[in-house]
Amino acid sequence: MLASYVRLEILRMLRNRRYLIIGIGFPLVIYLLNANVFGKETTGDGVSLSAYVMVSMAAYGAISGALTNTAGPWSQERASGWLPQLQVTPLRGWMIIVGKMAGALTLVLPSMLLVCLAGALTQGVSLSAGQWAALVGALWAGAVPFVALGMIAGSLLRPDAVQPVTLITMLGLVIVGGLWFPVTTMGATMRSIAEASPAYSYADMGWSVIAGHGVPLSDALTTAGWAAALGLLAVLAYRRATVRA
Amino acid sequence: METTPSAFALTGVAKHFGDVRAVDGLSVTAAAGGAIALLGPNGAGKSTTVSLLLGLARATSGTVRVLGGTPEEAVARGRVGAMLQHGELMPELTIGELVGFVRGLYPRPLPLPEILDLADLGPLVKRRAKGLSGGQAQRVRFALAVAGAPDLLVLDEPTAAMDVESRRRFWDGMRAYAAGGRTVLFATHYLEEADQNADRVLVIARGRLAADGTPAEIKATAGGRLVTFRLGDQPAAGLDALPGVTSVEIRDGVARLRTDDPALTTAALYRGTTLEVHDLEVSGGHLEDAFLALTRES
Repeated sequence: MLASYVRLEILRMLRNRRYLIIGIGFPLVIYLLNANVFGKETTGDGVSLSAYVMVSMAAYGAISGALTNTAGPWSQERASGWLPQLQVTPLRGWMIIVGKMAGALTLVLPSMLLVCLAGALTQGVSLSAGQWAALVGALWAGAVPFVALGMIAGSLLRPDAVQPVTLITMLGLVIVGGLWFPVTTMGATMRSIAEASPAYSYADMGWSVIAGHGVPLSDALTTAGWAAALGLLAVLAYRRATVRA
Repeated sequence: METTPSAFALTGVAKHFGDVRAVDGLSVTAAAGGAIALLGPNGAGKSTTVSLLLGLARATSGTVRVLGGTPEEAVARGRVGAMLQHGELMPELTIGELVGFVRGLYPRPLPLPEILDLADLGPLVKRRAKGLSGGQAQRVRFALAVAGAPDLLVLDEPTAAMDVESRRRFWDGMRAYAAGGRTVLFATHYLEEADQNADRVLVIARGRLAADGTPAEIKATAGGRLVTFRLGDQPAAGLDALPGVTSVEIRDGVARLRTDDPALTTAALYRGTTLEVHDLEVSGGHLEDAFLALTRES
């Protein structure tokens, strides 16, 4: 039952033009633009900027996708009556939230893989198989808190409010976290704020992997903490949104 | 051996939204099998009753049992199917995918061709839900409701947005479904639909049961004309024996006589009794009037 619901969620998103363009196409285009401008330079660690930006854009695409694949559709379904339609089938409430999150998490992968593929094929980013696996694995699993955040927004907001709020939240996370402008270009205060933000800990797992340091435990724990906290809030918000009067 | 549980049973059920008593002390039991109409004007509490039966809303007081368990249990076990008034469909999916998905959620669903046939959806299978007409979308919702071969099928105003031909086919599908020993409950404010398609009619008004019987019985109790007059403290004995009278109701000193022949009844009232008749009124005569009489503020 859960599997067929996840399949349905993925199928419908793959047919959604908005998802295909914004969720998959946009991060790839931004990456190619950035990489071609800065590609030949290197960071302090001796990592090429094309690799560094590849991780940034993969992380940005994942955060953007995680939020937009959940918040808008979920808010819309609550308002349109699709939710009660599901509630009168044997599909249980927990399956709906788990299914939506699993579907959204799966849909984060295509843009991430495309950005990595573009890095390897067009920008000469060269990593070991183990590094590639660690990079994709960390960025994929690490997207859970952002999927949960999108579910929270979708549970609390009406369809007309959810789009702008999601966009602003996404931009805030991505910019403050140093995904668009590296933290090394920030002032000291801004940088310490950036390094405490969830998107930084998340992307830093990837930056560390390509610098040959593996996934830092502190980043992994911080991301897991965000996942637990936002996951709990997502469940509470979901229950509030689906409460039977 | 336990007796077969009823399709549904409401016992003293009330549902209040703030000060509004959407359902206000409703008690009704339905044995399994057949088509039951929930008939009432807009705002009578039909949709709220449907929501209570489906577990989408919880009763303020009283108990709701569906197929021997709570509504949530019946829904979770796949024994209930429902067609709601405003359920939108996922626009990106085809009709075939939607029906296939919902079908797959139930333990013993109907075969896909049978569902498509019942809902008259054959030519639409490959169409996306986006861009369907209102009537087509209604047929898809009907397909989703019957897909799991539920023992209790609940339909809330199912023919809204359907044209005449669609309606005819829809009711054919509904009757075919109910003929298999299953129970169908449909809410409607069209008297004609209840009359033509139900074995039993529950008339509700202001959240209460106003009448309960076969369509013929409803017409008999509420049909005919109504002769009302102020009886005051005078005895009511003998009123039911007047020619033409089918029922007598005395409330607050006012006598309400249902009659097949108001002229005969009125004449007998003046000539055949010693009652003092004040404020005599004659009303009604049509099925619509019968319905209004049953659901009118009293």
